Amino acid sequence: MEHVILVRYAEIHLKGLNRPFFERKLADRIVDALKPNTVKVEREQGRIFVYGVPEDVLKQAVDKLTRVFGIHSVSIARCVEKDWLSICDAAVEMVSEGKTEDRLSFKVFARRADKRFRFSSEQICHELGHILLESFPHLYVDVHNPSLKVTVEIRQFAAFIYCDEYMGCGGLPVGCNGKAMLLISGGIDSPVAGYMIAKRGVAIDAVHFYSYPYTSPRARDKVVELAKLISRYTSEINLYLVPFTEIQLAIYDGCPQSETTIIMRMQMMKIAERIALAHGCQALITGESLGQVASQTIESLNVTNNSVSLPVFRPLIGFDKEEIVDKALKIGTYETSIQPFEDCCTVFVPQHPTTKPKLEKLLESEKLVDFEPMIARAIENCELVKI
Amino acid sequence: MIYLDNSATTKVGQAAAQASTMAMTDMYYNPASGYNAAVQTEKRVEQARQVMARAIGCDSSEIVFTSGGTESNNAAVFGTLIKTRGKVRIITTAAEHPSIFEQFRYLERIERFDVKYTPVKQDGSVNLEALEEMLTEDTALVSCMHVNNEVGAVFDLRSVRELMSKRSPNAVLHSDGVQAFLKLEEKTPDVDLYSVSGHKFHAPKGVGFLYVKSGTNFGGGQMGGGQERNLRSGTTNVPGILGMEQAVIDYTQDMTQKHDYMRRLKQRLYSNLRSLPDVLLNGPSLAEAAPHILNLSFLGVRAEVLMHSMDERGVCLATGSACSTHKKGKNRILTAMGIVGPRQEGAIRISLSPLNTEDEMDLTAQILFEQVQFLRRYRRR
Repeated sequence: MEHVILVRYAEIHLKGLNRPFFERKLADRIVDALKPNTVKVEREQGRIFVYGVPEDVLKQAVDKLTRVFGIHSVSIARCVEKDWLSICDAAVEMVSEGKTEDRLSFKVFARRADKRFRFSSEQICHELGHILLESFPHLYVDVHNPSLKVTVEIRQFAAFIYCDEYMGCGGLPVGCNGKAMLLISGGIDSPVAGYMIAKRGVAIDAVHFYSYPYTSPRARDKVVELAKLISRYTSEINLYLVPFTEIQLAIYDGCPQSETTIIMRMQMMKIAERIALAHGCQALITGESLGQVASQTIESLNVTNNSVSLPVFRPLIGFDKEEIVDKALKIGTYETSIQPFEDCCTVFVPQHPTTKPKLEKLLESEKLVDFEPMIARAIENCELVKI
Repeated sequence: MIYLDNSATTKVGQAAAQASTMAMTDMYYNPASGYNAAVQTEKRVEQARQVMARAIGCDSSEIVFTSGGTESNNAAVFGTLIKTRGKVRIITTAAEHPSIFEQFRYLERIERFDVKYTPVKQDGSVNLEALEEMLTEDTALVSCMHVNNEVGAVFDLRSVRELMSKRSPNAVLHSDGVQAFLKLEEKTPDVDLYSVSGHKFHAPKGVGFLYVKSGTNFGGGQMGGGQERNLRSGTTNVPGILGMEQAVIDYTQDMTQKHDYMRRLKQRLYSNLRSLPDVLLNGPSLAEAAPHILNLSFLGVRAEVLMHSMDERGVCLATGSACSTHKKGKNRILTAMGIVGPRQEGAIRISLSPLNTEDEMDLTAQILFEQVQFLRRYRRR
């Protein structure tokens, strides 16, 4: 009897002719996620079966797979020959290893993909239910709300028996939908934004702006840590750390006070776009949420949008702060995000930033400083951290 | 590099480091063992204990070695409270170090402890009138620091003791002496328990002691093999203790001169900054404060930003407020002193050791001057 991890797809099953492409991507992602273990992956009728995970790391492997986008859920199953006695033995063994409460309700589910099997699904449920009731006096049947679900799947080449089902994140496998550049600040929002776009199958690179020497080296470490946390869901992330002090000081010396924040955002977008284009990214991602701060009003977003030509994805645009925090908690980035270090956006902030910037006015103000050579220098001096 | 964060920790002296090394490589025996080498080691530890006792002005049997300030403070509070029964009042001040303050915050959850916090005055010292009102017959413990770590205010423990004798004669008086030990002219005041940390006076980290006045009803700290007269179990930290012994010997040589020297350095730095506008001194006057701590607010500058820019220029100092942009970063002690808003946002702590020089003060003042003026160009408007 062999252990196997049974993986169910999320949205991929809606795909038509190009479904094999998505399946292959997902299989690749599964193999990647389970490294350093070498596993064998088989696809069959809307399922992926993962063989070869050592028994002592099965739980960790499941944990990793629940973070792979494209997966609806996973189960640890026993794989046996399609022989009734073997199936019953495996089911009895799984139940005896599992829950030991005094009274336990259960239900048997059956799925017969191989219609040649001699019992119908209904018969499997009845017969196996009967055997389990006889073997375990503490079990009783509850077909509406069972606390133990025993599932038997009869496939082409083997039968699979499993009890627990672990929910995945859904979405599409990373890499099937191109690559985008995330502007990551170190706050709560941007990691969540990156997660949400990655979930739609997009590979992620990230750019972070820092104001040496005015920001802490710990703020930089924090961003690296956040990128690592996001990378648990995605493939490798190239994190570009861009020195931003020169531009900030030039803005504060040369531009109207109330417009410094928005002009700063414009330069950040420009730099991010150039790095994105140089490295094959097809969009920018920000953690902006409408009306959250001065640079995230509808007028401000209009201005920052105007400074780039790549599409800008803002998956949090309609989220309340509380909803974003919930998501950050769920994906595990919140605790790192709230470490209190000054970041480049908070070092130099005007008391009263404009909330209704006019594009023409801003474009005029932007001309007060010759940003071009500074942008080029910032990009030239940016540091790449591979995550 | 100019190191001006000596209240955080200090550089270990050469001789102290050698003493520790010797204890690690030569005299590495466990003083609790029975053979001769262990007995000799135990004797050395007892000698070190006498050095501590002389520095405090007590008997060596009143010194309990610990791992440092936090452990001494924890042992002091728990060792005292474990000896109490029924509902009792416990009092501390609003300006204590977290290793005291957080314990009292925790004890608020236990019903039989009636926890009170004495407010402090604007100069950081304890408000004695408020304390007097808080003291009751059923008060079991008063914990009052000797020198405040943020602003260097010296607490008047003699008056605290007098008030306690009148109103709470049975209460134990503990004092956190971490920033005070070896830094003040006055002898250690009449307290029951006194916490000391070695690494604040050029000893290695991980060693300190708790003075326990004989006759104090004290239940001890961590339990185990019964070391330190059963008041603090754990294998004796011989390298730490011998390093600390050497550090005390070194520091107590010409101690008054050291104090005067640091005070002069502080005065020099402060005078050098005089022509810089909007600089406020936090805490007591230079003469009244502990000789090694200077807390200044540079209005219009954010302390964290200033700290990083000073770091880049090779000067290490501490911020009064961790991060003004996050509520969490508010400095509890400065807030308790009524130092809030831009004054707290711009608060920097400079703490000296006898290793600092006049040249360093001049250079620091010059760099501070430049950086503060530069950063003020970008102040919030």
